[in-house]
Amino acid sequence: MKPVLSTHQLSKRYGGTYRVKNVNLSVHEGEIYGFLGPNGAGKSTTLKMILGLVRPTEGTVTVFGKDLGRNRRFILSHTGSLIESPSYYGHLTGLENMRIVQMLRDLPNRNVSEALKIVRLEKHQDKKVDQYSLGMKQRLGIAMALVSFPKLLILDEPTNGLDPAGIGEIRELIRSLPERYGMTVLISSHLLSEIEQIATSVGIINEGKMLFQGSLEKLKNQSRPAIRIKTQHNDWAHEVLGQYGYSPQQDGEYLTFESLTDDQVAHINRILVTSQIGVLRIEEQKKRLESIFLDMTGKENSL
Amino acid sequence: MLRRCISAEWMKLRRSRIVWILIILPVISVWIGCANYYLNQEVLTKEWYSLWSQVGLFYGEFFLPILIAIVCAYMWRLEHLNQNWKMMMTAPISASHHFLAKWIVVSVLLAFVQLLFLGLYLLGGKWAGLASNLPEELAGWLIRGWIAAVTIGTLQLALSMRIRSFAAPVGIGLCAVFVGLGLYVAGLGMYFPHSLLTIGMGVLSQTSLSSGNMLLFAVMNLFYMAVILLVAIYRMCKADVVA
Repeated sequence: MKPVLSTHQLSKRYGGTYRVKNVNLSVHEGEIYGFLGPNGAGKSTTLKMILGLVRPTEGTVTVFGKDLGRNRRFILSHTGSLIESPSYYGHLTGLENMRIVQMLRDLPNRNVSEALKIVRLEKHQDKKVDQYSLGMKQRLGIAMALVSFPKLLILDEPTNGLDPAGIGEIRELIRSLPERYGMTVLISSHLLSEIEQIATSVGIINEGKMLFQGSLEKLKNQSRPAIRIKTQHNDWAHEVLGQYGYSPQQDGEYLTFESLTDDQVAHINRILVTSQIGVLRIEEQKKRLESIFLDMTGKENSL
Repeated sequence: MLRRCISAEWMKLRRSRIVWILIILPVISVWIGCANYYLNQEVLTKEWYSLWSQVGLFYGEFFLPILIAIVCAYMWRLEHLNQNWKMMMTAPISASHHFLAKWIVVSVLLAFVQLLFLGLYLLGGKWAGLASNLPEELAGWLIRGWIAAVTIGTLQLALSMRIRSFAAPVGIGLCAVFVGLGLYVAGLGMYFPHSLLTIGMGVLSQTSLSSGNMLLFAVMNLFYMAVILLVAIYRMCKADVVA
C-alpha cells in the first residue's frame, strides 16, 4: 500500500546547523501517526515543511502520491492543519473566523456548524475570540483544521492549553476520526503518554534526526527486557558474578541485569547454583514505553 | 478564487476601527484647509481653485499618504498577529491571490476616501460661501489622485508584508512624503510614487498636464504597481512563513 504522506531525506538547515536532517516519514491511510520528540527536536519544522510553510533545504515531500512542490494547492485542499498555536482574528467572533476558512476553502455552511459542534464551541460561536480562553482557542483551531473534513489531518501538539477533561475529549475525538470520516491523522507531541493511547504508528525524532519509525509493538520490542534476580545472599552473588564478568545493579532485594540473552540467564543461574546461593526468583521486567522513549532521546527532562 | 479571497478580506475588516482612520484623516485635512482658506481670503482669490490649493495641500501632501500607510499596515497586522500567516498560507489558494485581494480591497477603500474627500471639499466650499462654478479639472484630479494613491498603497502593502512592525512602514511612508516633495521640487516628480500623487491631484500646481505628461503619469504608475506587485508576490511564494 502506498503511503498517504511520505518524506524523502527531508532536511532543513538554518545557518550552519541542521534543524531537521534526512527525515523519512511515511504515514499510511487510516493511521493515527504519532510524531514524538522532545521540545526543539524538529517536529514543528518537519510539519511546516510538509505543509509548504517552510521550504526544505534538501529532500522532498510527497502527499497523496503527488510532489508537494508542484501540487501545493491540490494537496492543501485535502489537508487540514493546526501548527503550534491556533490562528485566529481576535476582533472577530468564532463563527466569523470559521467563515473566513469556509470562504478560503469554498465549503458549504453545514461543514462550519458540524465542525463547531464537534469541538463543542457552538454555544460560544458569537463571542469574540479575544475573549476565548486558551482551551477554547485551541478548540477553534481544531475546528478550523477539521472544517473541510480533509483526507489528511496534521495536528501539532493539539492538546496544548487544554484542561485534563478537554485533553481526554480531544483524544477521543482524534481516535474516532479515521473510522468516522476516513481521515489519516498525523499528530505530534512531546508526551509519549498522550500518543501511546491513540497512535497506531509512531515516529520518534530527536535533534532533527529520526530515531525510530514503526508500530508501538515494534517500539516495545526494541529494547530487551531487564532481568531481575533475587537470591538468598545478594551481596555474595554480586561478588561471585563479578568474577564472571557480570555487573548487576543492586536494586532493593533484587539484582538487575540490563539486556541479557537467554543463554546468559541460564549461565548466571548455573553459576549461582554451583556456588550454593539459593535462587529465589528470576523475573523479566518489561521496560515502560516512557523509559524507552527517554533512553532514545536521552532527555530526562523533556518538559 | 480571487473573489473568495476578497470576501475573506472584507470579513476580516468587520468591526475594525480602521474605518475611523478613513473618515477622520480626510475630515482633519479639509478642516485645516478650509480654515486656512477662510483666514487668508484676501490673498486666495480664485474661489474653488484657491480652496483646492489649501485643502489639497494638507490632504494630498500629508494626510492621504499617511492614511494609506496606516491602512496597509493594518491589513498586514491582521496576519502578523496570532499566527494568521499560517492559516492564510495553508489554504489551497495561490499566494498571489492573497496579496491581490488585499491590494484590491485597499484600492476600493481609497476610492471611498477620495469620494469622501470630494464631499468634504464641496461642503467646505459651500460653507465658505463660494458661488462660482466648480473647476472642470476636479474629476481628473480625483481620479489621477486615486491612481497615484493605489500606487503608494502597493508600495506600503509590500513594506508592511515584509516588516512585522506596524509603525516602521508608516514611518517609512512619512519619510517618502518628504523625498517625494524634494523630487517634485527638483522636477523629477514623475519618477516617485509620492510625488506622482502631488502631480496627479494638482496639489502644488493646478495647470493641466500635457497629453505627453498624462501618458508618462499613467506609465509610471503602472510601472510601479506592476514591479512592486511582482516582487511582493514572488517574495511571498519563496520565503518561509515565520509565525
